[in-house]
Amino acid sequence: MRGFGYGAAASVRQALTQGGDGTSYLAGGTTLVDLMKLEVMTPAHVVDINSLPLRGIQCTPAGLRIGALERMADVAVHHEVASRWSMVATALRLSASPQLRNMASIGGNLLQRTRCDYFRDVRMPCNKRKPGSGCPAVNGANRTHAVLGTSASCVATHASDLAVALVALDASIRLQDRHGQRVVRLADFYRLPGDTPAVENQLRPGELITEVIVPACDWPQAYVKVRDRTSYEFALASAAVAVDVHRGVVRDARIAVGGVGTRPWRLPATEEALRGKPATEESYLEAAKLAVVGAKPLGDNAFKLPLVQRTIARALAGAR
Amino acid sequence: MAGSVSRRGFLGGAAAASVAGTVAWAPGRAWADPVPPARIRLSVNGKPYELDADPGVTLLDALRERIGLTGTKKGCDRGQCGACTVHVDGRRVVSCLTLAITCVGKNVTTIEGIADGDALHPVQQAFVDCDGFQCGFCTSGQIMSAVEVVSDRSVHTDDDIREAMSGNICRCGAYSNIVDAVKQARGEK
Amino acid sequence: MTVSLSRVESRLKVTGGAVFAADNVATAYGYLVTSTIALGTVTAMDATAALAAPGVLAVYTPFNPLKLFGYGDNSTDETAPVLQDNGVRYNGQVIGMVVADTFEHARDAASLIAPTYDVKPGNVDFAAGVATATPTSSPVAEVLAPGVTSIDAALAASDVTVSAVYTTPHQHHNPMEPHAAVAVWTDDRLTLYTATQGVMNVVSHMARALGVDQSKVHVVNPYVGGAFGGKIGNWAHVPLAAAAARALGRPVKVALTREQTFAVSGHRPPSHQTVTLGAAKDGTLVAIKHEGVSGKSQSGPSMENVANQSLTTYASPNLHVTRAFVPLDVSAMTPMRAPGETHGAFALESAMDELAFKLGMDPLALRQKNYAVKVPNSGNPWSSKHLDECYTAGASAFGWDKRNPVPGSVRDGDWLVGLGTATATYPASRSKSTIKVRLQADGTAVVSGTGADLGTGQFTVFAILGAQALGIPAGSIVPELGDSSLPVATPAGGSTSTSSNGPAVLAAADAAKAALIAQAATNPASPFNGKTPTYANGMVSADGVSMSFGSLLTAMDLPAVEGTSSLPSGTTKGYGYLSFGAHFCEVRVNRWTGEPRVSRWLTVIDAGTIVNEKTARSQVLGAVVMGIGGALLEDSRVEPDTGRYAGANMAAYLVPVNADIPHVDVQFLNYPDTVFSPLGARGLGELGIVGVAGAVANAVHNATGKRVRDLPITLDKLL
Repeated sequence: MRGFGYGAAASVRQALTQGGDGTSYLAGGTTLVDLMKLEVMTPAHVVDINSLPLRGIQCTPAGLRIGALERMADVAVHHEVASRWSMVATALRLSASPQLRNMASIGGNLLQRTRCDYFRDVRMPCNKRKPGSGCPAVNGANRTHAVLGTSASCVATHASDLAVALVALDASIRLQDRHGQRVVRLADFYRLPGDTPAVENQLRPGELITEVIVPACDWPQAYVKVRDRTSYEFALASAAVAVDVHRGVVRDARIAVGGVGTRPWRLPATEEALRGKPATEESYLEAAKLAVVGAKPLGDNAFKLPLVQRTIARALAGAR
Repeated sequence: MAGSVSRRGFLGGAAAASVAGTVAWAPGRAWADPVPPARIRLSVNGKPYELDADPGVTLLDALRERIGLTGTKKGCDRGQCGACTVHVDGRRVVSCLTLAITCVGKNVTTIEGIADGDALHPVQQAFVDCDGFQCGFCTSGQIMSAVEVVSDRSVHTDDDIREAMSGNICRCGAYSNIVDAVKQARGEK
Repeated sequence: MTVSLSRVESRLKVTGGAVFAADNVATAYGYLVTSTIALGTVTAMDATAALAAPGVLAVYTPFNPLKLFGYGDNSTDETAPVLQDNGVRYNGQVIGMVVADTFEHARDAASLIAPTYDVKPGNVDFAAGVATATPTSSPVAEVLAPGVTSIDAALAASDVTVSAVYTTPHQHHNPMEPHAAVAVWTDDRLTLYTATQGVMNVVSHMARALGVDQSKVHVVNPYVGGAFGGKIGNWAHVPLAAAAARALGRPVKVALTREQTFAVSGHRPPSHQTVTLGAAKDGTLVAIKHEGVSGKSQSGPSMENVANQSLTTYASPNLHVTRAFVPLDVSAMTPMRAPGETHGAFALESAMDELAFKLGMDPLALRQKNYAVKVPNSGNPWSSKHLDECYTAGASAFGWDKRNPVPGSVRDGDWLVGLGTATATYPASRSKSTIKVRLQADGTAVVSGTGADLGTGQFTVFAILGAQALGIPAGSIVPELGDSSLPVATPAGGSTSTSSNGPAVLAAADAAKAALIAQAATNPASPFNGKTPTYANGMVSADGVSMSFGSLLTAMDLPAVEGTSSLPSGTTKGYGYLSFGAHFCEVRVNRWTGEPRVSRWLTVIDAGTIVNEKTARSQVLGAVVMGIGGALLEDSRVEPDTGRYAGANMAAYLVPVNADIPHVDVQFLNYPDTVFSPLGARGLGELGIVGVAGAVANAVHNATGKRVRDLPITLDKLL
């Protein structure tokens, strides 16, 4: 760990005043402290934002608002979230471990860094961590890496489960810096790696996520997470679905997948293909084929192409 | 300013201090430049402790190497095993990813703090009765997790217990017995 | 009568009071620097920045080493002493150590050292080397029936044959306690607190490494946070901690990071096995041909004899077993729980299932059909064998008769359900053991020896057997182990602790009783002076007078009397000695996405006398869990370019979590093996893992019709 200065902010304004290049905000710390110990992240200043009033879970007919500092564990067990946005609650419940969910904030979850083993090992090259140094994952151990949205520079998988559910639900996040606030669709927030994998999202230096805004969705939902271990593991593939079925016919669907993309991956073509189709396994599997159009398997992860299709179909069939 | 407490720093104000306790702000520093240690006051198992430590010192290393409470174990130092589980303000967390300085003003509870004198906590007794461990290295973390699980009203079935205890790896493989111990402590066995 | 006693050290372990190696106090901390290439030399290591960093006391490198000597008799650890040359033999090799006043300072300064290398291409790909593996002359075992010219001739003459290749990856022990050592010198005497399976092995190796007399080295390690073979060896951090503490004149603590344990502390080699079985139409085995190839590190001698499992498991008139190895520029191999048997049984038990399927025969019936009444490769009788009862009792308790033999035919919701079985065997042996029993005036008795309790229950075995032999409550026994100042007992390894130390406890108790009686009859202060007293149940009696041994010692003004007994290694020749078991499991495979999940488990064990049912059950339970990890999860990939273990951490190298494990049922037959020892207890710690992967693979086949011969059985192989 490199030496850093620490301070706790008492107000949003105070935090924003101190934010900027070289400064990291500390919430749950499950990503930041981990990566600081590994020297993957080396902020000169750390501003503890845990005392900021960015709390609250508000459920209204229009939707859900979650304060960015709410803890994953608390949102997961919130009764109305679990009943009206079950894919959000499930995605949270299947994330990490109970201890980490007690610690980690909702905003921090959306900013968590990839679990790519090369990114996490500072003795290895990594374009995301050290631009231009190379990507050993492309020809390395890449069973867990992405097949969608990859580039020659980076194939790292986006790790968040929550973000997958939120992208499926067309959620937005409110961002604030010292100049003001803005609301950004989460799907637009994350960037593809392209030639600049170090730039992962639209967040500006010193900017904070203050809340998450989720539209109402009263369709049956599911979040299915597939992994080798039954728990305490990142997804090999996951699917967040909401599907509106009327008299055995799909009227509409929202689908995003995780564990396979360099960012949470919305599937508009699959959604479109489902509209008007019978709500059957066959049409689910047929539509899911469109999920992997353009996918680029690597040496160890070609299995993710069939896997993600089946994960989507399983989620659609299991939506409640 | 080593050993002293700065409430001026860049933040200043009592509000910050009331939340994070004392705040030591050192300006950004180059790699490996000395950072003045902060005086960190912690409440662990109801007792006050003071230590001088860099802000990067984790709660785990503060407990083990500075306070001398070695019951909390370092199994991975990365939040990947749960051996270092303690409670901060009554919630289980991994102390390896918790900076000690963020625990100022909070109540930290470790394995050394849950028995009532000579009387073991019911979860501790259940682990003894059910042989919920072998080598004992993950046990402190398992028990601190189980203490929360025992009172978790969202946990109902054996599978719920297994999931709720899955943040604590036991390489000796005592899992079946750990489930039995949690059930005993919940009064279900 | 079955004894089921809670661990005597339970209270310490549930209160955080058990002191593990890294819990001991030091005033300096070492942090290791490891190599990032597979093969070559370190050409430079600039320590300037690290030395200038806060709190740094010293930086040791091949260019500024601490003088250390080789151990001389490496069998489980690496051959070359650390830092004594600038060669790099594998990725992750220790090439330096920073010592500082705090852990953080040492860690952070270590990151300031950027070694430069002269890189050579390394041989790190096991699979690529199998075709040109090096055969070894020993052991290649072959048994041919009269008139049979070769194993291939026997196979050719069989009605039915199956032949397949089975592969297993590098596996890492990953005990929850990362290896650690705290070294404290007092004048010229070293006290070393280090995580080890055998304190005497540390004494002899550190004496040689440091160039000091063994009498100057005291090793203390009563509590070990799991080991599974990985703490037999004395890895690089141990001599470095000791030498740095000596050089700096202050106690030094060196704990491996979890990541470092993967390369620094040994691991299980990969294997490639070809098993060919020949049988008559009724299922009678005609021939077993098992060709085993193991990985072997260029840095140490350890490897696995995977194919030996076929020499003793099933009756067959023709047996042929070979052994070869692939030399690799990867970190040292070392024994890991049932080394050889675990992977050998995966191949053999899978092959038996494949044969049963081809024959249209129940796989359990095939095993019973080929029951080895005598030792297959010698014709000797068994000391004691009740495996047949394991099969029948297990089948009955598990409901094996409900198994549908048609793969893929049982479905429960989205899950395909299958059942599998496999045989477990593990050799039983006894090593030399010396135990002391000390009867004390306060009425307690100390049972002591240098053995180790890795979580095995050895403390409690000492207490139970001491109590039984002395006729006093187990609570009156004070067991002591894990300290090199104690009598030299058998260390933890090869499932020999209880089999060796148990009989020695009984013998030492007899010696202590004899010493007490001799004192009682001759000590002038004894009320039994001149009489012929006897000992029973803690009481000494003669002529109608009885008193407890504590009262008697008090009366004689003696603090204690002691008896020490030393039992030799070895067992009666002319018998085969194995422990046995039968596994039964149910596995579910998701019909959409292929995840395999174990949903039911039963293991029935025949390991002779069970000294403590409670801890014995836990040993088997834990072995099954580790076996499930090997079957479904554990997989260490070596990167071809760098020789680096990809994913050397607990988030990528997956071991089972609680949710992976169903209720595991364990039953013991508990037939004392009195040919083996007076106690009748064989070994237990490793037996339970043998056959687990085979049982799982067989259940997966029954569930899905897919035969996975390449561990681990992950969902991508089942899509």
